[in-house]
Parts: sequence; C-alpha cells; structure tokens
Amino acid sequence: MKKINANSALKLLQQNLVLCGILVLIVVTAIVEPKFLGAANLNNILRQLGPLPFAALGMTFVIIAGFIDLSNVGVISLVGVLTMGMISFLGQVGALIFGILLGALLGYLNGLILTKCGAMTQAEVLFITYGMSSVYTALALLYTKSETLRITSSTKPYTIFTTLGSVSIGIIPVSLIVFLIVLVIMHFFLTRTIWGRSISILGGNKDAAFLAGFNVEGTMRLAYTIEGIMAALASIMLFSRVTTATATSGSGYETNAILCVVVGGTTLKGGKGSVLRTMLGVVLITMLGNCMNMLNLSTYMQTIMRGAVLVIAIWLDNRKEL
Amino acid sequence: MSANVSINKVWKVISKQKAVIAIFAMMIFMIFPQTTFYTAYNWLDMLRSTAILEIVAFGVTVAVLCGGCDLSVGGTLCLGGILAVMIVNNGYPIWLAFVVALLSGAVVGFINGFLVVHQKTEPFIITLGMGMLLKGICQQLTDAHPITCTSLDFMQISNRKFFGSIPSLVVYMAILFVIFFCLLRFTSYGRNCYAIGGNYEVAKYSGIKVVPIKWSAFVISGVTATLAGVLLASRMNTGSSVYGDSTGMLVNCGCVIGGTSFAGGVGGVVESFIGLLVIQMLTNCMNQLGIDSYYQTLFEGILIVLIIAGDCYGRKLKRERV
Repeated sequence: MKKINANSALKLLQQNLVLCGILVLIVVTAIVEPKFLGAANLNNILRQLGPLPFAALGMTFVIIAGFIDLSNVGVISLVGVLTMGMISFLGQVGALIFGILLGALLGYLNGLILTKCGAMTQAEVLFITYGMSSVYTALALLYTKSETLRITSSTKPYTIFTTLGSVSIGIIPVSLIVFLIVLVIMHFFLTRTIWGRSISILGGNKDAAFLAGFNVEGTMRLAYTIEGIMAALASIMLFSRVTTATATSGSGYETNAILCVVVGGTTLKGGKGSVLRTMLGVVLITMLGNCMNMLNLSTYMQTIMRGAVLVIAIWLDNRKEL
Repeated sequence: MSANVSINKVWKVISKQKAVIAIFAMMIFMIFPQTTFYTAYNWLDMLRSTAILEIVAFGVTVAVLCGGCDLSVGGTLCLGGILAVMIVNNGYPIWLAFVVALLSGAVVGFINGFLVVHQKTEPFIITLGMGMLLKGICQQLTDAHPITCTSLDFMQISNRKFFGSIPSLVVYMAILFVIFFCLLRFTSYGRNCYAIGGNYEVAKYSGIKVVPIKWSAFVISGVTATLAGVLLASRMNTGSSVYGDSTGMLVNCGCVIGGTSFAGGVGGVVESFIGLLVIQMLTNCMNQLGIDSYYQTLFEGILIVLIIAGDCYGRKLKRERV
C-alpha cells in the first residue's frame, strides 16, 4: 500500500529489475569487449537462437494457463529421434508432418492424464509431467538403443531439414523466419481468439472460470497440446542444426524454457503474460550466454548464473504481488 | 447400495496403502522365478542401496509435512560430498569435513526457507532453480571432474560392516529413522509441523510460531541432504558433480508414493521410507529378472505417473464429495 506514493518510474524499475540487470550486463560487456556489438557476433547470436524460442513459446502457454510442464525434455528427445528415423520411410515432408503430429499427440496425452486425474495444483502437474518425461525418454532410448542417429544416413533426401538448420536469407537464419511467423500466429491466437482468451482466464482463476461455464479441462488439454507442438518444432530445429539426434538431446530445455518465460515477465501464478514478453526473455537469455562467452567465463559459471537468474527472477516476480 | 459402500471402503484402504500393496505384490511375484531375491544378502544390499536416498527423504519429509517441498536436495547432496572430500584431501580432520558440509547444507536450507517461507514464493520451481544453481557451483568447484579421496579412514565410514555383516549405511539409516520418527511423533515441534501443513492459517491463529518452524524444516532438509552427500562420497570414495542428478525428483516422488501428501500435514517418516523402498525394490526385482535398463527407466516413469496420478484422483473424488 505504501507503493502508491512512490513515483511510477521507480515502480517500473522494480517490476522489471531482472530485465534491467541483464541489460546493464550487456552494456558492460559491450564496453569491455567492443566486438560484442560487431556484425559477426550479432549474426552469431541470431544463429544461437535456434530451438530455444520454440520451447519457451510452448511453455508460455502452459504457464499462462497456470500450470508447468517438465515433459518437454522427453517430447523433444522422442520427437527428434522418431522424426529422423521416419525420413527414410515417409520422405522429408511426411517426416516433418509426422513429427509435428507426434508432438501434438504427446502433448494431448499429457493434458489428458492431467485432466483425468484432476491435477489442479502446480505440484501435482510438476511431478506427473516429470514422470511422463522419463517415460518418453525411455521410449527414445528403446528406439535408438542409445546410439546417435545421423541425418546423413537417411536413404531419402533431407533438404528441408538442412535448409531449416543452416541456410540464411541475408543475415537472418531460416529458423528465425519460421519462428517469427509462428510467433505472430501465436500472439494472434492468444490475444484475439476465444480459445486463447480462455487459456488466460483459466490461469487467472480456475474456480471462477469453471463457475462461469468455461470448459476448464478442454482448455487445459489445448494448452498442453500447443506445448507439445512447440516442443516438436523445437526438436526439429535442434536436430536440423546439429544434424544428429540422441535420446537425451532434450535435456536442459525445461529449465531454460521456464527461465526465458520468467525473465520475460510472465508470472508463474498464471493469467498474465504474453508471447512477445517471452521472445524478449529468450533474446536476453541468449545474449546473457553470449556475454559470458565473450568475457571468457567457464560454462559452469553460466549454469550458476542461469540458476541464480531463475531464483532471483521468481523471487522478484513474487514480490510484485506483496 | 451397501455393496457400493463396501467397494468404496476397499478402494479407500487400497488408495491409502498402495505402497505396501505394491511391495507385497512384488514379493509374491518374485516367489515364482528362480532368482536370488529371497536371500539375506540381497535384502541387506537393497537396504544399503536405498540408504542414501532414505536419509535424504527423512529430511525432505519434514519440509513436505509443513506444506513445502525441496527439489534442491540433489544439488545439496552433491555439494556436501564434494566439500567433505576436498577438506579431507587437504589434510584436515574428518569431523571438520562433516561440520563444514552440514553447515553448507544448513545455509542452503536457510536460503530456501527465506525464499519459500519468509517471501512466500511457490516452493517447487524456486527449489528447482536452487538445485540448478548448486549444480553449477559443484561443477565450478570440481571443474566437472570426480575427485578421489586419499584418506582411508574417510572411506571406512560408509564401507565398514557392523555386527559381522550389517553394512554401516543401514545402521546410520536406522539411527536417523528413529531420530526423525521420535521428532515427528513425540515432540511439540513435530506436532506443530503437522498442524502447519494441515492448515497454515489455523496454525498461525492458534499461536504456533509458523514462520520459524517451517523455516527450520527447510534447514533440516538441507542438513540431512548434505549428510547423505558425505556418506555417499565416503561410499564411492569420490566427490563428483554428477551425483544427485535425479535425487531431488526421485526423493520427492518417493515421499508421495508412500503417502506423504504435498498438500501437507499427512504422512510421516514411515510412509516415506516405504515409498522409497518401493522404488528400490522395483529396481532390484528388474535387475534380478535381467530386464534391460531402458525398460527399467520406462517402468519407473510409469510407476511415478500412476501413483501420483492416483494420489490426485483420490483428492479429486474427495473434492467432489464435498
């Protein structure tokens, strides 16, 4: 209540403290290491974006709906190995469609299990999706026998995937163009359609949404299906870029995706947030990693930094409500 | 109608004692194949393998009972082991290693408690982030290489055998079991933990010092995790940053499998012990039957999903009845 008297600039700073912190770090890096803002490095950052924005975009929907998802590790791994395996059987277009459909199916399965058993709190959702993640990873391990699959060993052409992975138009990689198209569609979906609005309303207050006659379970399944599709796209982008797929290639994407969403400013309580903010979070987290590379810090320091940013971001996010 | 009631009663007993039923089912199933399952050696080995996780679980149970949750125990366990090995390797006495390791656990627990209890953040994601942060610190400390311990006395702590054939880890586990059982059952601290988990507001207005008690629960959880970490380092004679990758999730799942509820206030050390024993026995049975490790991951994931989903389903039925 004291904050009413505080001036609005200070309030804005308080609400976006993490963003400001990372921006300060970027400015400092740019001063210490002038190469940071050079064309070569900016191009490098654009390339590094790759699969993470898709994973973060899917996570945004689940978090706006007031839930959380740890299963995208398993979905990314399983979709990656199966899609790559399918190129030889279905051709590249078939494999692409197969991958996206598989992602949607796995996401829908998550949503179905969660709604059938009535998991309504973040704790229950967290553990069930963790269990599903290990199921998916185990299936991927069974499929590959823990070998590394290579795209070059496919018997049919795979030019779509190499185009997605490594071709650029001007300085903009194709994967980024695909992402921007998906971003625009998803932004429109979330803000302008009845389904998108009902996801936000569900996150705002589940009981109120139920009493107002919203299809709570259907909306929840929808959010998880979108998450599954996005994880599948992330997986396809990932193996297109590195040209290999393993049963553990998705590991780490769950925390990084949550990190991007939270840093962007979407609250974990659900109901508020936008896909554009997540995009901002992804850019900042990628630049943070790039900064630390520029400053010659070890990869372990980067893990520490990411963990610290996650903890601090959630803490500050929570303080806004007090 | 009466048949319906009795079915409900049976269902209630089954849902309450699902872990015990799972254990008996496995024991009956293992009578048939020709294995070494029913030997004293195998049972002692099973207890010894699960001892580390059980010790972590005793502390986590206290945090879960208070309505919290601690997913950072994996990182804490790792940190404790590494610190102890580093101190012993530098020629300091073993008791100092224990003191420093346990203090580090207390500090981590204190920070967790501050964030969760004092600042009222959602415990699940913030402790997940804390685990990531600690993992980074462990990698930085060891440069991601395992450190071998040079002291023979330190190795003896967990590899010794008491009374002829009982592994020392089992004895430590039994001692801690008794301590935690008495703490939760016979002291006012334990009763207050149950009260806080049952209903935070009611506990607060009936004069229980809710904040210090819940806060100290996180400290206890951190300390037991580091204690387990030191014992694990002694068992393996190494401190490594790869220990504890899945510990956090596994231990918390184990608590729920046994019947300690994330809603708080239900369960106890006995339930957690049984819950983790189920996971260990499943692994042991599958090893005895010579099942592929990929299938083992699969079954473990399915078990976690089934039991936690069943837990949620029971609560959903209860909600609907009210």
